[in-house]
Amino acid sequence: MKKRWMTTVMAVLAGMMVVTACGDKSGGSGVNGDGPYPLTLVVNQVGEIPDPNNPMEEKIREYTNTDLRIQWIPYSAYDEKVNVMVASNELPKLIKLNYTPTTISSLEADLFWDITTHLKNYPNLAAQPQAYYDNISVNGKVYGIPLFRDMGRAIVSYRKDWLDAAGLKEPVTLDDWYEIIRYSTEEDPDGNGKRDTYGMMLDKGYNQGTASTLTRLAVSQGAPNKWGIDEQGNFYPEFESEQFFEVMKLFRKLYEEKLINQDFAVVDSSELNKVYESGRANIRISGGNGQSLQTKLEKVVPEAVVDVSALQGPEGIRVPGESGNTGFLAIPKSTVKSEEELAKVLNFVDKLLDPEMVNVINKGIEGVHYEVEGDYTVTIDADKDAQEVKPYRDTFPQRGDLYNMEKKPKGTELFNKNKQIVYENENYIVPNPALTLKSNTYNERGGELEQIITDAQTKFIMGQIDEAGWKAEVERWRKSGGDQMAAEYKESYEKQE
Amino acid sequence: MRQDQTWGNRLFDIINHSVLFIVAIVCVLPFVYVLAVSFASPAEVAKGGLILWPKEWSLVSYQYIFSSDTLPRSLLVSIYITVVGTLINLAFTSLMAYPLSKPHLRGRNPILLGVLITMLFSGGMIPTYFVVNGLNLTNTLWSLMIPNAISAFNLIVLKNFFQQIPDGLEDSAKIDGCNDLGVLIRIVLPLSLPAMATFGLFYAVAHWNTFFNAILYINDNEKWPIQVLLREIVILAQSRVGDSSFDEMDVQPLTIRMAVIVFATVPILLVYPFLQKHFAKGVMLGSVKG
Repeated sequence: MKKRWMTTVMAVLAGMMVVTACGDKSGGSGVNGDGPYPLTLVVNQVGEIPDPNNPMEEKIREYTNTDLRIQWIPYSAYDEKVNVMVASNELPKLIKLNYTPTTISSLEADLFWDITTHLKNYPNLAAQPQAYYDNISVNGKVYGIPLFRDMGRAIVSYRKDWLDAAGLKEPVTLDDWYEIIRYSTEEDPDGNGKRDTYGMMLDKGYNQGTASTLTRLAVSQGAPNKWGIDEQGNFYPEFESEQFFEVMKLFRKLYEEKLINQDFAVVDSSELNKVYESGRANIRISGGNGQSLQTKLEKVVPEAVVDVSALQGPEGIRVPGESGNTGFLAIPKSTVKSEEELAKVLNFVDKLLDPEMVNVINKGIEGVHYEVEGDYTVTIDADKDAQEVKPYRDTFPQRGDLYNMEKKPKGTELFNKNKQIVYENENYIVPNPALTLKSNTYNERGGELEQIITDAQTKFIMGQIDEAGWKAEVERWRKSGGDQMAAEYKESYEKQE
Repeated sequence: MRQDQTWGNRLFDIINHSVLFIVAIVCVLPFVYVLAVSFASPAEVAKGGLILWPKEWSLVSYQYIFSSDTLPRSLLVSIYITVVGTLINLAFTSLMAYPLSKPHLRGRNPILLGVLITMLFSGGMIPTYFVVNGLNLTNTLWSLMIPNAISAFNLIVLKNFFQQIPDGLEDSAKIDGCNDLGVLIRIVLPLSLPAMATFGLFYAVAHWNTFFNAILYINDNEKWPIQVLLREIVILAQSRVGDSSFDEMDVQPLTIRMAVIVFATVPILLVYPFLQKHFAKGVMLGSVKG
């Protein structure tokens, strides 16, 4: 009887092993040898993961003569996974990195190739504006190829039909902003007899990061972008500039008069999009294209007309400069061992910017994803495009129709206008001087310090603290590390000069 | 009975019931909302105004989910690691807890101390990754089931549970000719069904929610459990990651996100009713007299 029990238990355990073992197959081993250069690439996932043998990837492999294998990592844990890969030395030949403090320290530790001097040997890579490379440099060295994005994306989008009806024009001064917002909240622009519209709405990220509405509006009025430098070369934060404070006062007034949404401190941007897309809000500063708002809005309010204009103030157009990338592709020294191999990898990236590849990466396969109509190309099916082309467009280096694209995609008038404004914005950029500067205080306590200020801004706008209270909070920020941060930036800035 | 109640008692009952009712509503409403949105037509959701009951029912979102095999496949992966993983958990936890529940076991205290230390200090993410990788577990589903096969906390609670079982029961089994393993399987485990059901549930829910380890250890996206996909779908739609100058569209509309949430939540919810009867049952029901 004892034995029978033992055998049963063993049988159950063995059975479990057999069942689970089924999960281990199909690992797939990389084949080496002559022919195409085996190249592994790690990037973040965009939407559903494409089949590795889809025609787009086949075409890229064929053109670049590589055996490209892409590993997609979910965006939500990308940086952690990359940290583990770096620590355990399991890196691919090419990996997308984000410009974060951890990444910077592994770049400084020389784990990746410094390609500053190599760039000039590759015609496509050398043709890209230096500013894009400067924005990912560490101590003046470039460690990768940026995934290019426009630098001056901020744009004002508004309901043209509402402004026309009121005889208003796109805003220039803060008074213009106030008048537009007041009108579209109080005077029932949608004509349904109810006070159910807002001139402008903010979400809880209204004062954070590059998409901060406060920063964008303040810059247009003449404030610095995140950090300013005074005559003595000292760094000062944007919120100590007069124009920035004017913007804060504007929103305080709007809040008090109930002209902006009262729940702005807690509401999600996705909630906000819904309101704009259902035709219950007017003006907005965003980084998207006004056309996508128009398309969605039309379905709910057929007579709606969206228009866009550049972000301008009394001094003309002024746009905060963004980093110009969503990360960059770096080459680990542990997997790419020699300069010859480095040349192969760089050659691959360079080829991605050849006209033929630019078309594939941006638009997909002709006849499947897009077709040619005269001087333009037209996307065949937007859903298919989003599912099959977008993953590559978002994770491979490309500059849209700004570089090596023979036929531009056809867009509506609004779409093209928006695009044109964004391109021209590059001439009016106000850069963030601290973008690539080093500050240990920022690395250690940047988030905590930012919290002091963002909380205080929210309280000020909501009327919970007055000007003296705000000044006290700024003082607290200075004492808790803000002053130190400014000093560190100054030091780092002078070193680079 | 009723008329015996004082006015104060009755007032207490009313307040009690209303508070509990409100709490229940607060708990249930989000589920109802998610369910309603997942079954509503995308147009209705876009318009806004949908609160708890869609005017137009639609299965579009579910059709979309099942149109590719990604989500159903990851659901199978999740079910697999939950079922097999929980069996492994329960087998190993009880095999370790039972001997440790015997005071005469030599070296019992040092072993318990060792277990306790792992509760307070852990190796950290990267060293743990090295161990898993060194055992060639990465990129297999084993990496989600073996490394946490025994939870220290559950082990200690189960050990204490085993200690409460009267020695007399085990002695009688021994007299009838059982060895130690026989005692464990035929006497102790059947008596511990409520405990096993509880810990089984803890373990199962943990396996079902596996997210971070899956991303760390598994590179092959065909082996990702459903939570990884769920997170990706929900987060991508919110933050518009990597929007290019070409287009900026939502990757997934709200209805699809909600449908995925339903899809990922309902299976584990269904487990509760089946285990609940074990929670209610008495442990020692009719075992030892006097």
